[in-house]
Amino acid sequence: MTNKLLTNVMIFDGTGKKSYPGEVLVQGNRIKKVAKGTDQIARNGAEVVNGEGATLMPGLVNLHGHLGYADTATLSAIGEIPPEENTLITMYNARKAIDNGITAVVSGASSKPRMDIVIRNEINAGRIPGPRLRAATPQIVTTGGPWDPRQLHMHHTSFELIADGPIEMRRVVREMIREGVDIVKLALSGDGFIDHTPEGTMTYCEDEIAAACEVAHSRGKRLAGHARNDTAIRACIDHGITFIYHASDASEKTLDALEKVKDKHYVVPAIGILYVTLNEAAEWGISKEWALSHRFDREIEKACATMNKMLKRGIRVTPYGDYGFAWNPHGADNRDLEHFVNLLGLTPAQTLMSATKWGGEGWAGSDPVEFGLVKEGFLADLLMVDGDPLADITLMQDRDNFLMIMKDGQYHKAPVRRRAAQRKRAAAAAE
Amino acid sequence: MANKLVTNVMIFDGTGKKPYLGEVLVQGNRIKTVAKGKDQIARDGAEVVDGGGATLLPGFINIHAHTTYLDTTTLASVGDVPPEEATLQAMHNARLVHDCGFTAVISAAASKPRLDVVIRNEINAGRIPGPRMKACTTQFVTTSGPWDARQMHMHHESFSTVMDGPVEVRRKTREMIREGVDMVKIALSGDNFSAQHSDEHSVTWAEDEIAACVEVAHSRNVKVCAHARSDESIRLCIKHGIEFIHHATYASEKTLDLLEKHKDRFWVAPALGAIYATLHEASDWGMDKEFALARHFDREIEVGCQTMMKMFKRGIKVLPYGDYGVAWNPHGTDHRDLEHFINLIGFTPEQTLMMATKWGGEAWASWGGGVEMGQVKAGFLADMVMVEGDPLADITLFQDRDNFLMIMKDGQYHKAPQARRAAGRKRVAAE
Repeated sequence: MTNKLLTNVMIFDGTGKKSYPGEVLVQGNRIKKVAKGTDQIARNGAEVVNGEGATLMPGLVNLHGHLGYADTATLSAIGEIPPEENTLITMYNARKAIDNGITAVVSGASSKPRMDIVIRNEINAGRIPGPRLRAATPQIVTTGGPWDPRQLHMHHTSFELIADGPIEMRRVVREMIREGVDIVKLALSGDGFIDHTPEGTMTYCEDEIAAACEVAHSRGKRLAGHARNDTAIRACIDHGITFIYHASDASEKTLDALEKVKDKHYVVPAIGILYVTLNEAAEWGISKEWALSHRFDREIEKACATMNKMLKRGIRVTPYGDYGFAWNPHGADNRDLEHFVNLLGLTPAQTLMSATKWGGEGWAGSDPVEFGLVKEGFLADLLMVDGDPLADITLMQDRDNFLMIMKDGQYHKAPVRRRAAQRKRAAAAAE
Repeated sequence: MANKLVTNVMIFDGTGKKPYLGEVLVQGNRIKTVAKGKDQIARDGAEVVDGGGATLLPGFINIHAHTTYLDTTTLASVGDVPPEEATLQAMHNARLVHDCGFTAVISAAASKPRLDVVIRNEINAGRIPGPRMKACTTQFVTTSGPWDARQMHMHHESFSTVMDGPVEVRRKTREMIREGVDMVKIALSGDNFSAQHSDEHSVTWAEDEIAACVEVAHSRNVKVCAHARSDESIRLCIKHGIEFIHHATYASEKTLDLLEKHKDRFWVAPALGAIYATLHEASDWGMDKEFALARHFDREIEVGCQTMMKMFKRGIKVLPYGDYGVAWNPHGTDHRDLEHFINLIGFTPEQTLMMATKWGGEAWASWGGGVEMGQVKAGFLADMVMVEGDPLADITLFQDRDNFLMIMKDGQYHKAPQARRAAGRKRVAAE
């Protein structure tokens, strides 16, 4: 494979620093060289891609993906989709994610036990397109926990695995490790959607959490926790649950504890689902009235305040999460970047740093893989974007703005000309 | 959509007549006009495809397909593959057979209950490429029938569904009709591969079970096909109206008389390829000549070929293909069957291609709905392939998928027209 030399680009390198004009040489699956200015890197037979001033940046990383979720209008409707169809839907969602510039995903729960695993393996075998994927279990929940869809008179299944007691928890986690998961997801707290287990409640007991963590950690697997309240966040910290999802309500004491171990955790609030549930879900039977009666306004307010406190303490907070429902569908994930700017008050540069540098760190964990920065030696997961996302973060929401999508040194989307350039050329041809 | 006008092609129209130079106009999903000679059809803004003298034929139709079989090295190991992986591989297989010029397949058994149904639906929805497909059940077998993979001490799954007694047969047939099959497959006779408990001369179903299956299927416009190697099993197919008789090796003169009387209602597919490959080419997979001879594969192919010629002379419809989808007879090599029909049975290339197109189309049309396919004829569905060279002079050229210069299904390109390779070579040479 010939080297690829990306020239005449504005490099946003993922660190949050200002973009600079430069060139990037890709050799094999890695970034071989990064240079400031033009004509700095010897051509030496490399395939030269002229970026025409477009922005070059690291691929986006979602630390809270649900590729198996099927954009259904209710949470429990996912269970009605059989495994065969769900496999195909997950495959399409994987393609959609990388089409939108997301080159790596840590799953925050699969829709069926083997779904993430199968799609990860198929992507890794090169048979279908998709991002680097860390495969997760379904939500592991208690009887009566969020997303326990069963009724006493009738069997139902949704996207959950039910485990009660430390022994059953052990068995369920071991079973999923046998199948090949990377991430074990526990539904620790309740949720605003669930009347019998709202967001302020805790659903798992200490011995059950400890059992899951003991088994997972003994095999080098990481965990993720659905943790909306202070107790659940504390449990994540105490038990070493790497990915803390939502984390809306953290006390100062909990923040102190988290700050102390901030190198071990990632917080992913999944602001998007709260925003759309509150503002855009009426078509799906979720009225403003319903959302208010389920405290989604308060949840988003608390979450934004908490994220700001965390960021000030240097705790890594990253965007994305909970895309995969009808009112918050796959492909809209990059709205989360806008939410980070508008609702959390981060700068676009901070937001993109968290979506790339921090995302890459989160995906890698203790594995010796390095991506998320435009930096020599890092894996060549790169995007070329038409325009300046630091000036307009919303341009990430139109996938046609991705002029090139590269994963592991290979094009998912081969370079296309900038649209402005195309327009100019078309205008010139017309004259 | 603009009309497509395919010009300058030698048309093999599917009837078995000599090819002639002509033009074909496609409007929407149908063949609008077929004309002999050049410049006979008004261009009228149609997209003109210059075939450069290549051969235009109807798309191929396989009436004994196992598109969802997984090219495994043993029959039973199909059962080891979970539904998620099987779904993805079935999808890859559907694309592969379409790439090989098949535009319609009638399944003769799926590898898992819902797999054909799911892949058919996904193709029909336009989300994945593949041929038109009639979806089948798994092999319905009785306890101790061929491919009953269970053992007393341990649960196994293969590609079969085991049932005993007319009521259970009814229920299983109804269940699969609920899931959406077009066809039910019963393993009526035994097989050389399962000779230890049910060999090719046996009948493994009781009449009340056969009757139960056919009654339920025919009440819903679902057709039935049978694995029927023994004389008695073929006779039972005729008696019970099982439309697709697969293998049909050991038909006696009396059975042939009976079949001839009802020849318009039945289709026979010997599936010679699998037998040929087992006898001659399977030693890499642990089936040496000794194994094959001990199971009488030599006699199977010899008698099978004689029976097929006898049937053809009586006007009974005999068609190529079948049983591709195992490691030693893999998907994508299906067109070797055309060569077998010529070399082993003694049909002419014209007869063989007529069987693979016109007769296949008639078999497909037997479901009703006024569908016409399998010929290059005005009013017929525009399922056509353009091939490099003259297949009547060399039937093996279908075995190289690069010889397919165009593959069209329902008036749409699966493979857009390419210049002839000879023409391409000439052009290169001239430059």
